[in-house]
Amino acid sequence: MGSVLKPPGHRVPSPLSRRSFLIGAAGTGIVLGFMRPGLAAVDALSTPPDQLFEPTVWYSIGRDGSVTVNIAKAEMGQHIGTALARIVADELEADWERVQLAYVDTDPKWGYMVTGGSWSVSHSFMPLSQAGAAGRIALIEEGAKLLGADREACSARNGMVSAGDQSIAYGDIVARGDLRRVYSADELKQMPIKQPADRRLIGHDTSAIDIPSKTDGSARYGLDAEVEGMIYARPKIPPTRNGSKVLSIDDQAAKTVKGYISSIALEDPSDTVPGWVMVFADSVTAAIRAADKVTVQWQAGDTANVSEQDILDHGGAQIADPKGGSLLVNDDGLEPAFAAAKTTLEQTYTTSSMLHFQLEPVNGLAFEKDGVFEIHTGNQWQSLILPVLAKALGVGQDKIIMRTYLIGGGFGRRLNGDYAVPVALATKAVGKPVKMVCTRADDARFDSFRSPSIQTLRMAFGEGGRVTAMDHHAAAGWPTGVMAPSSMPKGVNGVPYDPFSISGADHWYTVGAQRVRALSNDLANRAFRPGWLRSVGPGWTNWAVESFMDEAAHAAGIDAVAFRLGLLDGTGRNAGTAPFSVGGARRQAAVLKRVAERGGWGSAMPKDTGLGIATTFGQERDMPTWVACVARVRVNRGNGVVTLEKLSLVVDAGSIVHPDGALAQVEGAALWGASMALHEGTEFVKGQVKDTNLDTYTPLRMGDVPEMDIELVESAEMPTGLGEPATTVVGPAIANAIFAAVGARLRHLPMRPPAVLQALSSKS
Amino acid sequence: MTTFQVNGRTVAVDVAPDTPLLWVLRDEIGLKGTKFGCGIGMCGACTVHVEGRAIRSCITPLDAVAGATVTTIEGLDPDGQHPLQKAWIKTQAPQCGYCQSGQIMQAASMLKDFPDPTDRDIDAVMGGSLCRCMAYIRIRKAIKIAAAEMRGDASNG
Amino acid sequence: MVKRILIGFAALVALGVLGFALLAWRPALDPIDPPAAASFPPELTARGEVLAAGGYCATCHTQKGGKPYAGGYGLPTPFGVIYSTNITPDPDTGIGRWSEAAFARAMHEGVARDGSHLFPAFPFDHFTKLSGDDLEALYAYFMTRAPVKAAPRRNTVPFPFNVRALQAGWKLLFFKKGTYEPDAAKSVEWNRGAYLAEGLSHCGACHTPRNLLGAEKAGDAYGGAIVEGWIAPALTDANPAPVSWAQNELFSYLMSGTSVLHGTAAGSMSEVVHDGLAKLPRSDVNAIAVYFADIDSSSTRMAGFEATVAKAVASSGLGSRQDYGADAHLYLAACGSCHYNRGAMPVAVRPELALNSALTLPEPTNFVKVVLSGIGLKDGMSGVMMPGFAHALSDSDIGRLAAYLRRTRTDLPAWTDLDAKVTAIRKEAAGSQ
Repeated sequence: MGSVLKPPGHRVPSPLSRRSFLIGAAGTGIVLGFMRPGLAAVDALSTPPDQLFEPTVWYSIGRDGSVTVNIAKAEMGQHIGTALARIVADELEADWERVQLAYVDTDPKWGYMVTGGSWSVSHSFMPLSQAGAAGRIALIEEGAKLLGADREACSARNGMVSAGDQSIAYGDIVARGDLRRVYSADELKQMPIKQPADRRLIGHDTSAIDIPSKTDGSARYGLDAEVEGMIYARPKIPPTRNGSKVLSIDDQAAKTVKGYISSIALEDPSDTVPGWVMVFADSVTAAIRAADKVTVQWQAGDTANVSEQDILDHGGAQIADPKGGSLLVNDDGLEPAFAAAKTTLEQTYTTSSMLHFQLEPVNGLAFEKDGVFEIHTGNQWQSLILPVLAKALGVGQDKIIMRTYLIGGGFGRRLNGDYAVPVALATKAVGKPVKMVCTRADDARFDSFRSPSIQTLRMAFGEGGRVTAMDHHAAAGWPTGVMAPSSMPKGVNGVPYDPFSISGADHWYTVGAQRVRALSNDLANRAFRPGWLRSVGPGWTNWAVESFMDEAAHAAGIDAVAFRLGLLDGTGRNAGTAPFSVGGARRQAAVLKRVAERGGWGSAMPKDTGLGIATTFGQERDMPTWVACVARVRVNRGNGVVTLEKLSLVVDAGSIVHPDGALAQVEGAALWGASMALHEGTEFVKGQVKDTNLDTYTPLRMGDVPEMDIELVESAEMPTGLGEPATTVVGPAIANAIFAAVGARLRHLPMRPPAVLQALSSKS
Repeated sequence: MTTFQVNGRTVAVDVAPDTPLLWVLRDEIGLKGTKFGCGIGMCGACTVHVEGRAIRSCITPLDAVAGATVTTIEGLDPDGQHPLQKAWIKTQAPQCGYCQSGQIMQAASMLKDFPDPTDRDIDAVMGGSLCRCMAYIRIRKAIKIAAAEMRGDASNG
Repeated sequence: MVKRILIGFAALVALGVLGFALLAWRPALDPIDPPAAASFPPELTARGEVLAAGGYCATCHTQKGGKPYAGGYGLPTPFGVIYSTNITPDPDTGIGRWSEAAFARAMHEGVARDGSHLFPAFPFDHFTKLSGDDLEALYAYFMTRAPVKAAPRRNTVPFPFNVRALQAGWKLLFFKKGTYEPDAAKSVEWNRGAYLAEGLSHCGACHTPRNLLGAEKAGDAYGGAIVEGWIAPALTDANPAPVSWAQNELFSYLMSGTSVLHGTAAGSMSEVVHDGLAKLPRSDVNAIAVYFADIDSSSTRMAGFEATVAKAVASSGLGSRQDYGADAHLYLAACGSCHYNRGAMPVAVRPELALNSALTLPEPTNFVKVVLSGIGLKDGMSGVMMPGFAHALSDSDIGRLAAYLRRTRTDLPAWTDLDAKVTAIRKEAAGSQ
């Protein structure tokens, strides 16, 4: 299991495909589900009725014909349940109106549980399609018998098996037929699935099943979980993320707060939350107020004086040192190419710390019942935190169950389940159910935020401006290195690297001799817990690559689109491989050309207004989503304010399962890109983030939204991911647009007015 | 004991009078649809109506609503079929959904003052409601659809 | 020689003290048996009730959570806290044994039944203008209230200011006794307004600045003052509101606590409106509006107000569309949802900050106080509330908001030392609770 995080789906056997096709698996203990719109939303579906057709763990069909699809992915706004159910239902030929979702708790039978990396649809597509197809075939076989018809004469459609003018509903087949079947994993893998043209649900719009409950207040998130007899807790967050020790706790003043119970220092064998103190009370308000009055003396960790610039300086020194790091690409002839170059270009790009600021602050409810710890909280990566919880609690993983809730904004924060640990420890310590609520400031200080980064890029040009070599060094905190080191792949020099901190640098441009070096900023890794944040590394690597490509095009005196197209020739390692990256760089060139048309590339602009372009392959080389963006900005030379007027985006993510949901993902991801480019960002100051709430942290809001024009390329290729790719192109497109508008080049994210003014004054 | 009306019924709550209304609604009365986001009145997730107008319940003490009428997302429409709720579904506005109770309550209050809101109105009034999924395009569209329905104008929809 | 001079000086001092004692001395008036409530005609009592409201008697003579008119409310003054007295007809701790003459003397001269001088925290300098008829009605009203046994609380005024006899000197210097004399050159309505404003409703008690000895400055009537930590703005043409106070706006404000072109009553002005003026006949409130519209010369200052309003409303959306800036963002997120306006006129329930004198006063006091503590449902505009941000925003945040709004919503010079001022106001507000 250690390698499951590794992004490329086809290299890692998907957990779904490893299981046999079973009959009558046991009831699943569902805690959360959505009925169809119009029916009451149900929080706790009871155990399914006795007689079900449950051909795989992924879905069951009841005698009433209802199809319940089990969702082992976290629902956090991407409507993943709807998308996965569409995949099953399409092959199953189910009646979509009878399909409902069940979000499941942790159980080994679900395999490896993680929701991130924009992988869910891509990794689930084949196994779920095959599971659906297997069910359809079984239903047709049994339906034929019950109809007394020849199997070949039967077909399935819309929850019915028909032969001529006879038909029988799936529910009746479940009730009356003998659906016992066993398929081996290999047999399942051979299960034929539909040609794209035959799809009835995939690629067609539908209403997401989770949405109605999100308009009437009935949707239930982790914060809403409660259990009889629980007490509330709020943490006191120590001065450093790592290495803090509690010296003393003075709760004298807290005793004046009505409802205050006690304060304890947590003993954490897993060392996830060193130095945490939990303050207990009988209500959220009392816990919040009491914690304000509890004074804790800590011995801080050794990073108590580390600040943002120290981290960037350290990364800069790592880059300057030719030794160290992991090499993803290390072509022969790089240094000779630079030595022989007619001209070279070198630039350094940096990014600030960025908070998740998911709107639901991290929280959790935990209690022990019959020797089993139940953790109720929204989480994106249960399989990562379960062993940590086991270590913290000193019990086996089989004694822990994580109940599933909707997530009030994931964006990667809940991939790191560290917040579940203090809740579990607290309930163990006090012997009562404990509900932990973090204030917004607690959440921000405890965030595993996006690491600051520093990158240096070099390019060598030969005759006629031809690119002969490119060199990319990136240093940042490594979330995977800190939290899941065993899942890191190895570079060509045998050194492991965090794909989430370098992907993007290994781009699809053909640039001659290439080197890509990933450096783990150990100072960052010690000073805080670097997190995965929507698009993670590609959020900064592409910022550098695509800003640099613009600078290179300018240096070479070539149009920025033409320059890129010249490098996206799809040769050699950039040719692409089936199934996910088939077409390779030529597909990236196609979206680039398309967006140039849509975005009016080359047209005349008003004064101080400019167009900027950027293109990326989304998250991973092995699962590329081809994206290109044109940003139009207007720059106010007087005050440095950049107004983002328009974003045009073209996205090729292969087959689109749920087009409207996909569009929503692209809209949100692109605006995240804009927010991180122009609006939000913080700074690490002496062991803590500087901004802890919305009075000073300023993410994009309604009025900051530009006009948007988005095209999803029609494609029958394998689906890839959509949650993050659009985030990666917007920042560099804006930077390039600012340069086009006023000639000022910004090389630090976010690009705030003072930086724009400084760039304007220094360019002349 | 503080008494007030919520969603048409009278409730009496025996907690400290300076307890934020948000936590009274959620934990004392059990109306979980109103959400906690920032605790300082700047994200809008906790928006409810007091006497029919949007306020941030996270910074409103319980005693401030003594004797008053409070409406939460659960009480906006008895069947969850307020024109805004319908428009929210039609445009598939919610993503994670966590902010949407507050967004809808804020929008409902806005439409009383500005039945035909312009983009500028929406920028300004909805600017206090943070959607971290950034579903803003659809929220704006949904508000306009609902506004048209509430004005009895069938053309925009 | 020296000795004689000393003796002479001593004699002079003794004479002075004697003279002052004579001047200060007032006789005690005989106690009476509390009159039966039924001895007062109900219509007289009813008239007294309206007058008591218009004089906000309950505001000062009732402590928070206490019985009406039983006293005990602490009024902070530069000289210490002065606690109001029990004016229910309780014979031992209230005014049950006061004759109507004793009551009238207290109102007209500031002397208690026992002959001691009252501090001018009790606005007898205004009540002296009341007619005998009105005093009779007020007496009837108070003598028919339910008696409450509540002994007065001790004032914290230190020596020598606590020597009541010294009030005689104060009166000699600053107090002019006498009922209101109509100005024949003005309308009946104006005179009615003046009678109420100068007398019963004692507007100057808050809106006229006081000298070092706590007396209203005669030459600066309605020039604006600080009251209980709030700025009571000038009611003259020195009033800094962007649109001057016309009679109809004054009327609306005094009746309902809100004016579309100015904003919402807060602090003690909210009590003045809701617990006081709202109970007066509309005609009386209108008369007060007529009077102050004249005092502030609004008729000559209203020209072009539409342009001022248009400019204000046009600025209302500032900060809401890619108008990047951390301060604009703060305003947008915390304030804009409720305060944004558009069109020719602000929406009544959306107080337009660009028209609000909280932003145009020389100091940010009122702005900061409202941001900290908000405005209750029953205060200001009825049924509309603003939550306080005391627990939400830091001093620096509120300072930034104040600076941002002053910068973008007015043409006035920036407020200075904002952070320190916010800190001080927060501290004072916390202390007074």
